[in-house]
Amino acid sequence: MALEVQPPSDRKRVKVYELRDNDWFDRGTGFCTGQILDDEPRIFVESEDEPNRVLLETKISKDDGYQKQQETLIVWTEPNGTDMALSFQEAEGCAVIWNFVNNVQQHLLSMAPGEDALSDDIESYQSIMLPPPELGNLPEIDHVMRAASITQAGRDALSKFVIREEYIPKLIPLVTMAEDLESLSDLHRLCNIMKSLILLNDNTIIETVVTDSIILGVVGALEYDPEFPTHKANHRQYLADKSRYKEVVPIKDALIRRKISYTWRLQYLKDVVLARILDDPTFSVLNSLIFFNQVEIVNHIQANAPFLKELFTVFDPRSADTKRKEDAVQFLHQCAVIAKNLQAPARANLFANFISHGLFAVIAFAIKHPKPALRTTGIDILVALLDHDPVMMRGYMLKAVNEKKTPLTDTLIDLLHTESDLGVKNQLADAVKVLLDPQIPLQDTMGRAGPEHFNKPRPNILSDAFVQNHFDESARRLFWPLKRLEHADHLRGLTFQEVALYSHLVDILTFFVRQHLYRSRNVIHNESLAPRIAQLLAVPHKHLKLTALRFFRALTSLQDTFYQALMTHNNIFGLILDIVYETMPRDNLLNSACLELFEAIRCDNMKPFVLHVVEKYGEKIKNITYVETFQSLILRYEQMQGYGGEPDSTLLSHEEETPSRRMQANGQRWQGVREMDAAEEEYFNTSDDEEWQQESRQSTSEAAQVQNGAASPVVKPLVDYPDDDEDEEDAMDTKPEPGDGQVQQTQEEPQQDGSSHDDAFSSDEKSPSTPVSLTVQTPPERLSEKRRREEEDDDELIKLTSGPKRRSSTSAGPGSAGFLRRKRSVSIGSLAANDKGALGNLNSSAAPKRIAINLSSATSSPTTTSSTRTKASDAGSTQPVTDHTSNEKENRDDNHSGGG
Amino acid sequence: MSDLDRAIAQLRACRLIPEAQVRELCYKARELLIEEGNVVNVDAPVTICGDIHGQFHDLMELFRVGGDVPDTNYLFMGDFVDRGFYSLESFLLLLCLKVRYPDRITLIRGNHESRQITTVYGFYDECIRKYGSANVWRYCCEVFDYLALGALVLGASSELDPSGPVDTTQSTMPIDDELETEILNSKGEVTMSTYRPRPQSTGASTDSRAISPPRDISATPGQAPIRSGAAGTGASGDSGGSLSSRTGAVLCVHGGLSPVIDTVDKIRLIDRKQEVPHEGAMCDLLWSDPDEIDGWGLSPRGAGFLFGGDIVKRFNYRNDLSLVARAHQLVMEGYKEMFDGGIVTVWSAPNYCYRCGNVAAILELGEDTSNGGTVARSNGDYGRSNGLLGPNRPAVRSPGRRYRVFEAAAQDTRGMPAKKPVADYFL
Repeated sequence: MALEVQPPSDRKRVKVYELRDNDWFDRGTGFCTGQILDDEPRIFVESEDEPNRVLLETKISKDDGYQKQQETLIVWTEPNGTDMALSFQEAEGCAVIWNFVNNVQQHLLSMAPGEDALSDDIESYQSIMLPPPELGNLPEIDHVMRAASITQAGRDALSKFVIREEYIPKLIPLVTMAEDLESLSDLHRLCNIMKSLILLNDNTIIETVVTDSIILGVVGALEYDPEFPTHKANHRQYLADKSRYKEVVPIKDALIRRKISYTWRLQYLKDVVLARILDDPTFSVLNSLIFFNQVEIVNHIQANAPFLKELFTVFDPRSADTKRKEDAVQFLHQCAVIAKNLQAPARANLFANFISHGLFAVIAFAIKHPKPALRTTGIDILVALLDHDPVMMRGYMLKAVNEKKTPLTDTLIDLLHTESDLGVKNQLADAVKVLLDPQIPLQDTMGRAGPEHFNKPRPNILSDAFVQNHFDESARRLFWPLKRLEHADHLRGLTFQEVALYSHLVDILTFFVRQHLYRSRNVIHNESLAPRIAQLLAVPHKHLKLTALRFFRALTSLQDTFYQALMTHNNIFGLILDIVYETMPRDNLLNSACLELFEAIRCDNMKPFVLHVVEKYGEKIKNITYVETFQSLILRYEQMQGYGGEPDSTLLSHEEETPSRRMQANGQRWQGVREMDAAEEEYFNTSDDEEWQQESRQSTSEAAQVQNGAASPVVKPLVDYPDDDEDEEDAMDTKPEPGDGQVQQTQEEPQQDGSSHDDAFSSDEKSPSTPVSLTVQTPPERLSEKRRREEEDDDELIKLTSGPKRRSSTSAGPGSAGFLRRKRSVSIGSLAANDKGALGNLNSSAAPKRIAINLSSATSSPTTTSSTRTKASDAGSTQPVTDHTSNEKENRDDNHSGGG
Repeated sequence: MSDLDRAIAQLRACRLIPEAQVRELCYKARELLIEEGNVVNVDAPVTICGDIHGQFHDLMELFRVGGDVPDTNYLFMGDFVDRGFYSLESFLLLLCLKVRYPDRITLIRGNHESRQITTVYGFYDECIRKYGSANVWRYCCEVFDYLALGALVLGASSELDPSGPVDTTQSTMPIDDELETEILNSKGEVTMSTYRPRPQSTGASTDSRAISPPRDISATPGQAPIRSGAAGTGASGDSGGSLSSRTGAVLCVHGGLSPVIDTVDKIRLIDRKQEVPHEGAMCDLLWSDPDEIDGWGLSPRGAGFLFGGDIVKRFNYRNDLSLVARAHQLVMEGYKEMFDGGIVTVWSAPNYCYRCGNVAAILELGEDTSNGGTVARSNGDYGRSNGLLGPNRPAVRSPGRRYRVFEAAAQDTRGMPAKKPVADYFL
């Protein structure tokens, strides 16, 4: 018997490290070879200085968790528990040894089931035999499967065997047998076996599992989770309950019916049975199976005209079957929810079909339904349509107006006024907001229609005057309750409902004003809404007050003369200052919101407001001294009047040159505001030119600094980027560039630079009395199930932008990428803090990285030139035992660069 | 038994309360939270907790280890929801406790307390699953908008009282040294302690400490003496003679620092009632992470920044803080101090996502009774910072820190964690 693995022929230069007391101890530099001695595969390292000294001789065994990290590191644990690392000078050398280790391990693994199964056939490790499915064989089956699951080759071979031999159906009878025998240990083993089978992550296996004859047996076994020995789930009871499937109109196609029930089971597996143990690949396989089933189901439904006809006739007013109508609404709702995940054309088809069959009537039926739950459902369907294509929806609405029918908006507005269920009211407000959104996203339409439609008017596009007219009409209707406030002599006794309504209305108006400067002017002016909202600034209900305040905050940042006039003519600032007086010096939300408004005026130097506020309310603000804001405002005013100091021209020009990137990024809410148009610009530039503004700003901060002592931190404006942060900006500009400087820095440090830092972090290191690094290494049986999904990794805002479809995208499949990913995660083991690209989380993972850098410095080889930013920054960290936090970070980086 | 107490009892049993009651609870919470500043002042003693992430049973374990509300004063640093399968139960229970004992529990906002994040990471789905519509999610998100952005713990003692028999190797420590940190396991056994020399101070202040009665830091703080000093406030109220024992305030935020925020008071100038923005001060406070770098760095999370030890040092000095406590990052040991103890990450979700294998921790800060306690850092005391930057300011001493480390709840105390399946289906 001989190993058929060819040892690598030449010697690779390498450093040997051993983990001692949580620090990597350098055992020396030498040459590494893979050898097979007495049929035992070994890794040898001979010392470079003393060729006869053996730095390392280790036998490759199948169980040691070898990991390849980065390009040049191999890390593993010796049978005696010592963590070792080999840091190669060159990636190529590392790859050679790594291949050797890999081949040996796979070979050993394939021989694992029975010692006598040794074979010279190199193919042997690609086929796996499981013992016959009998209760007595369960321990062995479990064992073989666990062993095989460690490598991708093993998993593939196992999958093939299981499918070819139809192994799963043969296992099913064992579940009842074991139950009859009340053999808990067998049931636990069966549960493990089922888990391993599902986590093989093979489409065919998972599809088999959810078939009628199999599913109950599989979830039956999964009811006995050895991790919860005292519990038994009741999956079978849930899945066997046929009554959960509701049929409004029978679906006749048997294939589709089957798909529906499979999909339901898949969802149950994903959400309930396997929720805790799902890893990333299996999660995405489940998701993609569900997704493709749903596509088929929805396609079938929308193409099935008789079905749709029957479905919508359920809503015939002459029919008295209310239960059926309610179910039909639920059915449509479920279609809409599924549609959200579909691709846009499929979704458009479905909705278009629904609409042509009378979906709007259904929505109208639902939102007037006496049951709040059904109203909610109805609005949900509407919102799904709005999310899908707001332009189309507005088109339908305007068409209805044009045809002198009652548009949906009117219905919604009336409901909003009268709705008593606050949840429904909330939804209604959102729907009205979108439907009436004065800013029609034209780009959106064109993008969807394609360039050829660019110049063609949409069929139902109506004249702008008409649109404006409709907007005014609807807005008048909508904001009527606000207008009525004029005659309300007291606002103390507002009911809960009224408060909620006014909040929604003001909120909607704020949205309109932000979306479109001009469109909402008419209604605000004609209905004189501003004074009404100003009234709300004085109500005792604080959140309503806040909503009103936010309306005026929005006006403030618009830089539009019309809205400015609203602010200055209605004693708005007086009322806001009243709130400041009421709340100060208490530090609460309202108070902060007021301060933020005045801060914004000051920081962004909104001259008309500075003038207005100081001139009109000078007395009032003079007395507010608990924050700097108001004194600074007065100061700014005085500078405008010409009392300011000489501007420093160098600083000024510097300010202009400062890249505006960071400014925008950190600008407070100001950034949400669109650019000034020419007319407004002109308005702001009358009498004083731009320079003057900047001069005064400059001198303000200067003067303030003088006043408070040079180092006072308080005076600087909240976001005074140009002078405040130029250093930081530099820092940030250089940071993303390859961390050359950092690498260099590290290189300058002695090899074991960690030791010098030990003291600083010693408490950290010694602190956890529970040796977490050890407990973290979970036993092998959990390896396969604990690989972590990438979604679970860490929060990333970036992920959000990639949209919800990420989940339903197809899995990596058996391609090489998937292979790599799996392999890595297997070797990482259970360490869930890691994910796809993550390297060892074994407490030591970051340390070897440092070694890599050290080695390169020692041997002056340019291996690190290709370091990514991640590496560089990790290298820059000199903490000896890098913690898991930084691993997480690394994962994030990985995700980041991988595009999620 | 009031409705609220009933709701608390029900939620403690991991059973949900009806939608109407959730709505009412959220409105009550809103009324309460609107009165809180962006940075809430909290007096020691207090127990600081990190991310919970819907791991209800582990939250129960946390209360078991740290003491129940209202016996223990709690500060939760956000991320109550998402990931775990019981976000609703966890958050609603915390909210009930907040409404029931407003002074005994403080909740601040985490980056997961956001509409956008919760639709991706599970809370939204859970609400739909458990209540059939998104209404409860909307109510909760409304509450999220009102949550404070940070908290300032005042009057923490620089020294711990040993909480148990000290093992022999450590009893050889000089008696003059004070107990700075202590690590306890979930059984309350001390597993590690660190000491530091007492400050070289005038006899008077040492004496006063020596005669101060032993106290249990988890005892109720009702008997606080008249508070005259201003340890941690930065006010010049430290009367001479006791300067050396000043313990700086502890700033608690979910994520970390922001380049836009150089003083704690700047946080007060944020209008926080909004969805967490993608950039700016409010975003940074909830998203940033400390890192072994100099200055500021781009965050791989796509929001917030990375900040180095120099930033922390400067910020702490400028604001008279002894420590920044934050959460936001999984640490396998449950807590992790960085930058010479200038910042600590506290993580309170053991075995995160039911699979990470980490332990969790909570951080207890004791009450300083030796030095006359403290005055709550007055919001109106804005000019106080002027005096802070003199070169001769005595260094603040970090508070005594007791970490209680705990593991995931024993499996027999909870069922198998799972999401709730859909009731009926058509498709």
